[in-house]
Amino acid sequence: MTNNTPEAVQPSAAAGQLAPADLTPARRTWRAFRANGLGMGSAIVILIMIAIAIAAPLLAQFPSGYGIDILMPPSPQHPFGTDDLGRDVLAQVIWGTRISMIIGFAASVLAIIIGVALGVLAAYARRLDGAISMLVDVCLALPVLPLMILVAALVGPSVTTLVLVIALFSWPEVTRIVRSQALSVTRLPYVDAARTIGGSHIWIMTRHLLPAVAPIIVVSVVLTASRAVLSEAGLSFLGLGDPESWSWGKILFNAQRSGALTVAWWCTLFPSLAILLLVVSSTLVSIAYNDARNPKTREN
Amino acid sequence: MHLTGYLLQRLLRGVVTFWFAVTVTFFLVRLLPGDPVLAVAGPGMTEEIRLQQLQLFGLDRPLAVQYFSYLRELVQGNLGISFLRSKPVTTVLMERMPWTLLLTSTALVLTVLLGIPLGVLAATRARGWTDKIVQVSGVIGQSLFVPSIGILLLYTLGLMAGIFPIGGAVKSGLTGVQYYLSVAHHLVLPCLTLVMAQLASYVLTLRSTLIEALGEEYCDLARAKGTPERKVIWKHALRNALLPTTTLIGLQIGFLVGGAVLTETIYAYPGVGRAIFEAVGQLDFPVLQGAFVLLAATVVVANLVTDLAYGLLDPRVRAG
Repeated sequence: MTNNTPEAVQPSAAAGQLAPADLTPARRTWRAFRANGLGMGSAIVILIMIAIAIAAPLLAQFPSGYGIDILMPPSPQHPFGTDDLGRDVLAQVIWGTRISMIIGFAASVLAIIIGVALGVLAAYARRLDGAISMLVDVCLALPVLPLMILVAALVGPSVTTLVLVIALFSWPEVTRIVRSQALSVTRLPYVDAARTIGGSHIWIMTRHLLPAVAPIIVVSVVLTASRAVLSEAGLSFLGLGDPESWSWGKILFNAQRSGALTVAWWCTLFPSLAILLLVVSSTLVSIAYNDARNPKTREN
Repeated sequence: MHLTGYLLQRLLRGVVTFWFAVTVTFFLVRLLPGDPVLAVAGPGMTEEIRLQQLQLFGLDRPLAVQYFSYLRELVQGNLGISFLRSKPVTTVLMERMPWTLLLTSTALVLTVLLGIPLGVLAATRARGWTDKIVQVSGVIGQSLFVPSIGILLLYTLGLMAGIFPIGGAVKSGLTGVQYYLSVAHHLVLPCLTLVMAQLASYVLTLRSTLIEALGEEYCDLARAKGTPERKVIWKHALRNALLPTTTLIGLQIGFLVGGAVLTETIYAYPGVGRAIFEAVGQLDFPVLQGAFVLLAATVVVANLVTDLAYGLLDPRVRAG
């Protein structure tokens, strides 16, 4: 991104907290975000992983069939080693990036849509608030993983199942956060004004409440996606992954099932690092975005 | 609000949560495509045997009748019959339950016991770059994938160092003190896995609430009276900072139970979690359903205990 704003408009430390008027809030946030080394580094890591996910067919052959080199430690030929059937672990991790990220992203988008809709509705329609809040509390109290396992086992493992199951049990967290944010907005005079001039409920919710919670949604998408990646890995690790495709959790499941776990550290280390890298980067990006957006944390 | 009223309200909420868990899973199992009828009655059966099988498991009656009879049986502690082992689910799971309870409660207690001093250290000693390290390692700690930690510990402490056993819960054929020592020895790695998975959340929460509490006026007052800083931290500020930590326990118990399922799978630990893993492989839906109902009940009870602790810690709840 090119930024032609002259250096002179940088607020001096003594001149107070006012940002230059010619910068839009979005650009001010972007500026502060760019100055955060950890946040920028993490964003680059995520972009690289997205690129790997998209370019998987160019980077490695789909790991299938059997190889001759069984359980080979990392070497120039197989940088991440090979598994118990002689398949290249690097290729598995690359193809796993694709499925893990697709499931994480799709489940997160779905969970956000449900979560935001119910959150805004609960904040706006006070009569529904009690019921929705109760549902959220109850869902958050339950052990989600065993429930996901039950449903995924019933429906039968596939990418679609995983997306739906993870989304179905991930929205309450989003609703909780969106509701509390939207609740403070519904009390503001401009919402009353919108109602006074005869705005419909749908119009008020979509045009006035939704934009107010938008920043929260940005953070939620990233955090929910990283949690969805962990859920997918957990379900795949228990044998509920899509049988047709690779994911990071499935590599671990194979290592556990075949016993490669105890002899070949490379079969489990690299997918574990991939999961860790993606989840840590997502968390750091959302923290950096939050800090950049907040005028209090932005200035120092 | 008095403590009794508060507890009654929480109890009601626990009952509703449990009822919700039971009802949702009942209808999920009956209505989703993975039809239990098919699991019991294979396509190759004759019509007569199929009906017999359905009758045996009560699957031929209307859904509503099945639901109420399921609830009635549940109240009496009957969770149905395992499809594959033809044993009551309750029997299958109750053998497993003590191990899961041992694992999760030890992990929880250890996490809190370690989390409090670490949180105090992070809030009071970490300045500048040490604080940065605390925060970044906190983020990493919260991002760990439970099986990854389990495998790492299994490989390093279990296999390479060979200090701890890597599977099972106890060596067979032992009695008395040796039995308990063996149980503790087998518990180390699974327990450590769960502690590592949870610790960061507790340290970070305590750190931020304690920093906030130490800036409050009552702490300034205590300092002005000449109270030593150590006492201000441990007696005055910590007491208030522990309240959000108590809430966190309630929020984290669901995660802890999920982590136990994954950990038990890695270490072949004979708890409910391992039973879930085995039932997934065999598509034994009554066991999966029963295990979830049992774990939901555990979580509800654990939440009640946390609520009680919160009520006792917070005078506003206690006195009303």
